[in-house]
Amino acid sequence: MQTTASSSLSAAQQTASVRMPGPARHYGRALYLTINIAILVFLLAPIAIVVVFALNPTPFIQFPPVGVSLRWFEKFFASRDFMHALWFSLEVAVLTTASATILGASAALALARGNLPGTRLIVATMLSPLMLPAILTGLALFQTYVLLDVGRPTWGLVAGHTLVTLPYVVRTTLAVLHNFDTRLEEAAQNLGASPLRTFFELTLPLIKPGVLAGAIFAFIVSFDQFPVSLFLVSPGNETLPVTLFNYLKFDLDGTIGAASVVSIVLAFVVVIGLDRTVGLRSYVKL
Amino acid sequence: MSSTATTRPNGLALFILPSALLFGLFFFLPIGLMAVMSVLTGNPVVMPKVAFTTRHYARMIGDPYYLEVIWTTIRIGLVTTLVALAIGYPLAHWMARIKSRTGHALLLMAVLAPMLTGIVVRTFAWMTLLSDKGVINETLIALGLISQPLKLMYTETGIVVGLVHIYVPFMVLTLTGVIGRIDERLEQAAENLGASPLRAFIEVTLPLSLPGILAGSLLVFALAISAYVTPILLGGFQIMTLPILIYQQISANFNVGFAAALGIVLLMISLLLVIAYNRALRLVSGQRELQ
Repeated sequence: MQTTASSSLSAAQQTASVRMPGPARHYGRALYLTINIAILVFLLAPIAIVVVFALNPTPFIQFPPVGVSLRWFEKFFASRDFMHALWFSLEVAVLTTASATILGASAALALARGNLPGTRLIVATMLSPLMLPAILTGLALFQTYVLLDVGRPTWGLVAGHTLVTLPYVVRTTLAVLHNFDTRLEEAAQNLGASPLRTFFELTLPLIKPGVLAGAIFAFIVSFDQFPVSLFLVSPGNETLPVTLFNYLKFDLDGTIGAASVVSIVLAFVVVIGLDRTVGLRSYVKL
Repeated sequence: MSSTATTRPNGLALFILPSALLFGLFFFLPIGLMAVMSVLTGNPVVMPKVAFTTRHYARMIGDPYYLEVIWTTIRIGLVTTLVALAIGYPLAHWMARIKSRTGHALLLMAVLAPMLTGIVVRTFAWMTLLSDKGVINETLIALGLISQPLKLMYTETGIVVGLVHIYVPFMVLTLTGVIGRIDERLEQAAENLGASPLRAFIEVTLPLSLPGILAGSLLVFALAISAYVTPILLGGFQIMTLPILIYQQISANFNVGFAAALGIVLLMISLLLVIAYNRALRLVSGQRELQ
């Protein structure tokens, strides 16, 4: 990988001297960059706007902003409903992360090392909640809980969230498992280590970055999850996205902005943490 | 991952069981029950006498309103996909070709940041931008370009804008991987042979990235047709899509059977897309093996 990159770089330098630099090339390059920067603005401006409205003191959405205040943050943190929702979301996200990480990492281990028949089909099935409409997962679980007459318990919500976050853990763990040499494990066992010891002292530390990345994805996805929660929360016990959604249907004031900033900050902290600890690049391949 | 297992499953294979149980109980069983509910006259728990019926499906096919809803959903999905492709491709290309490591990391952050911001939050952002007194209209009025606010919200255009913003990162990430695998020297060779950069792109890079375009488009389309929050908030309860109709059948009409039938239709469309997506991805990896 490293060698091909450097050789293509030197090839680029060689050809650069051969090519005729014309004004058309410069305009083309400028257009290319302009388009891309416009796209970046489109991607990031809405997030910046949310921050502006969170700090703007007017009681309704007003542009241009008239000042800076923290009143919406005060209102958000003083609101019993929002705080209850925030804590409930965190609770669900923590439980989901724990179950998705344990289940997903073990499944990945079985898929990569267990000699299971039909691995490809199993992987496709386990990743399918990523593409199948989450709203259907919510609907189907809702109907099942109604039929079984179990009500809308927190474990039911966590099970739904685990289903839609498990694919992230499976994918990131599998990526790491495929990247390291199985001969290391064989060597450890040849040197007399028991399979159990090999697992805890060699395999587990090696796959940790993948598992960790998957766990962080699972946490964020669960924290922001909406369609599954929509069907599975009970009134008075709603997650933050559902509470925000219900609030948005009737009110459009800065409280939503403040709540949004809180969740954006959380996501940013997690992404930067992810980049610092394990590196993003290899975990975002779809 | 070798698909042909030459040896028998070993002890580690047992680690699949907890996940298998989760999928069995909380995925296959519920979806199976949904399929059953879609052909029953009522809830078998509440009503002891339920019978088999096709009336939920007949209702969907017989009433032009429901066909219109399905068509609106697909239309919004198609437009979203095309726009997401049009703006996702240049960015993916830049990300795949940028030389600087820092530049790449920054671009990746810019793509991931919206992805990791909740759907409800991003839809709220678009409400503040698109509403009659929103940022875009107020700015245009202040600049004297328009006198009356443009109707941006509560339209399909508004929904598409919001959906594109939400799903374009998926397009970018899929395309970046595929474009990154295309050898840059192929383009350079074309240019050395006298092709303009544009022509080199159209005749070399674009055809080679077709599987990625297909995979990304299928992914975005599948996500867009199952969106609920954005169509309902940016459409202002006026534009009806399949997911909105499904939730309405549950929350307002308590018609579980009809909701299940609508769900099965959405599931069938999505399943076809998933299969096509996996095929497209296999094309991508097949291409990599050829190189």
